[in-house]
Amino acid sequence: MASVMKSLTRPMTAEEREKAYSTPKKPDVMERQRLPVRYHVEDFNVEDRPRRFLEVFASVLQHHPNYRLALDHYMRVTTRCARCAVACPIYDATHDPHDIPCYRSELLLSIYRRHFTVSGALRARLLGDPGLADEKLQEMADSYYNCTACRRCHFECPMGIDHALVTHLGRYLLSEIGIVPRALVVSTREQLIGKTANTSAIPLPALIDTLEFLTEDIQDEKGVHVPFPIDQEGAEYIFFTSVSDFMMEAETLKGIAAVMKATGDSWTIGSKYYDGINYGLFYSDQVMEHVLHMMRAEAERLKVKKILIGECGHSARTAKFFYPTYCGGKNALPVISILEYTQRALKEGRIKLDPKVVTEAVTYHDPCNIARPGWIVNQPREVLKAFCSQYVEMAPNGRMNLCCGGGGGTVSIDEIRPFRTAVSGRLKAEQIRRTGATYCVAPCANCKKQLRELMEDQGVECEILGLHDLIYKAILLPPDSAEETAAAEAADGSTASPAEGSPS
Amino acid sequence: MTAWIDFARGPLFRLSLALMVLGLLRIFIITLLEVRDGYRANSDKIVSWKEIRRQTLGWLFPMFRLWRQRPIYSTVSFLFHIGLIVTPIFLASHILLWRQSVGISWAALPQVAANWLALLVIFTGAGLFLGRALYSPARKISHRQDYFWPLLLITPFVTGYIASNAVISPRTYQEMMLVHIYSGDLILLLIPFTKLAHCVLAPLSQLVTGVAWKFPPGAGDRVAETLGFADRPTWVLNPRLTTAPVEEAIRKGGVAK
Repeated sequence: MASVMKSLTRPMTAEEREKAYSTPKKPDVMERQRLPVRYHVEDFNVEDRPRRFLEVFASVLQHHPNYRLALDHYMRVTTRCARCAVACPIYDATHDPHDIPCYRSELLLSIYRRHFTVSGALRARLLGDPGLADEKLQEMADSYYNCTACRRCHFECPMGIDHALVTHLGRYLLSEIGIVPRALVVSTREQLIGKTANTSAIPLPALIDTLEFLTEDIQDEKGVHVPFPIDQEGAEYIFFTSVSDFMMEAETLKGIAAVMKATGDSWTIGSKYYDGINYGLFYSDQVMEHVLHMMRAEAERLKVKKILIGECGHSARTAKFFYPTYCGGKNALPVISILEYTQRALKEGRIKLDPKVVTEAVTYHDPCNIARPGWIVNQPREVLKAFCSQYVEMAPNGRMNLCCGGGGGTVSIDEIRPFRTAVSGRLKAEQIRRTGATYCVAPCANCKKQLRELMEDQGVECEILGLHDLIYKAILLPPDSAEETAAAEAADGSTASPAEGSPS
Repeated sequence: MTAWIDFARGPLFRLSLALMVLGLLRIFIITLLEVRDGYRANSDKIVSWKEIRRQTLGWLFPMFRLWRQRPIYSTVSFLFHIGLIVTPIFLASHILLWRQSVGISWAALPQVAANWLALLVIFTGAGLFLGRALYSPARKISHRQDYFWPLLLITPFVTGYIASNAVISPRTYQEMMLVHIYSGDLILLLIPFTKLAHCVLAPLSQLVTGVAWKFPPGAGDRVAETLGFADRPTWVLNPRLTTAPVEEAIRKGGVAK
């Protein structure tokens, strides 16, 4: 780890810095919104922001005892030792004190201390402190979206402060007064109240077309009928993935369908709701809860037994760790990731992978959202080692991996791509370059998009793909039985039709 | 001067100690109550106790983690904490005071070991001060008080060391003792009200974080309701998508009823 971290501790050149902080945003918009941030924000009320921010803060503290607990505690124990600075890939690239995780958290902690504690109020009275100023909100708006919320610093804080939680709260509070990246809020709006009910606005007919096309593709390539079942009531698993996968990650989906075909477990995609994305994790607890409720409604409608999440880090994390929170506690449907599922199937001998197909060097990138909690670290490695003849590790890896640079929803904000590829993904690019691998497996839609842009902008020769892309290359599917061939012919090679029409 | 020393060693010490214990108990209990509130508000009750235990123990005994980041500073800090806790509790002359006043006593450190430990605290304390002053990221996030703590904390050790090794004492034994005892009392008094409180709170951090990531169901809606956004949550508040009255409301204060 030290070697990678040390190699890039040179500060960025002035030219690199200028490029990284460039933005297509017009200065007059920043002026109008009084918000010098590089991401687009929908127009909102700018008057009297500090007061409204404090109202939101008070309301959140009133209804979320968990945040009061965290802020009270962090405020008391923070020692400002700067160990987190060394763990942060962004600080490593910029050497800007504003990018030290502890500094970022202090922005919010100081507001809490000043306005929501007795000692802070007394101190303010003694020193004549006028309280929260708009400039601080502007700084927070910039700072909280420079952080990728990867939680790496949490492991290095001797006081156990989770800066990503503070970032999450900071973004939540800001969003309630209208400061939230347009890219995130527009997608969320479509998902929650739009006609298509998904973040990429993919209509159901387009989805069905895509899936039929994929089935035909597999038939051509593998000679086997592999369906993508839709609305199969009573199936074992309901499948949710980042909806953008249906447009961008055909190989991943084919791999997943092939694995499901090989194991023979019943699974289905819901026609009313098929998006795993949950931007609530990045900026709003209210959004997170509503999105999970949609997932629950679809799972209940189809009477499935388990929720299966595709190759998507934050979808998996929100479902695994927050679905029980919002959808029934210990009685909630179990959530498993396709990575766990495939590893288990391989272990039980239910899928066969040809070890002679993938001979190039393969490395594995741990998506923060699934690796950091220690949930999915070894499973994909076991699978890869089972059929890739040249597997190489990055360093550091596993729970201490480096973020791709597009975490915390920042990958969806296209206008900050220069920052993501020059600053937040800087170390990652070097890390991947050093492995010399031909393929980098990144089982997360966010990571894949970010890493592809990163490889392009940093000039690294490495193909980014999902775990199931490689599995699809190597999987050995048994030929169709007579019944299956008949079924395939009956369906004319197409996907099972939804039980009902389009949700719109 | 003897009277001043006796006062600091007697009533003032008892007061400081009592305030420290009560103050620490107070924030410890407050934190636990807040943890309870957070835990109760969360509906799933699924908390990763194993991970919390693992991380808490890992930081209570951080020998295997020091090298990961800032290894020298971290090791210096670790040694500082050991000396800071062990020396005053197991110093023979302190135990003697306990026996005389309260009648309780326990095993003492040999004087040589205590001397070395005191020196360890002094040098590592100075090291922490320098580590903060000379290391740029730490300097940039430090508050003024952060420089003060290591200096205050080593004061009783410096004076105590000089007093107990009278040969090298440049001033009278009594003057040293005066500073030693008053600074010691001051530290005890300040612990519960300052960041020094981490001495009892830090072991709760992982528990706090584990519970704080558990969001209460319905809280997001209740926040919106309190703010007057109940029927038009944040994601609807878009002038291009919403109707005129809402636009009007947004212009006025972002509150749509």
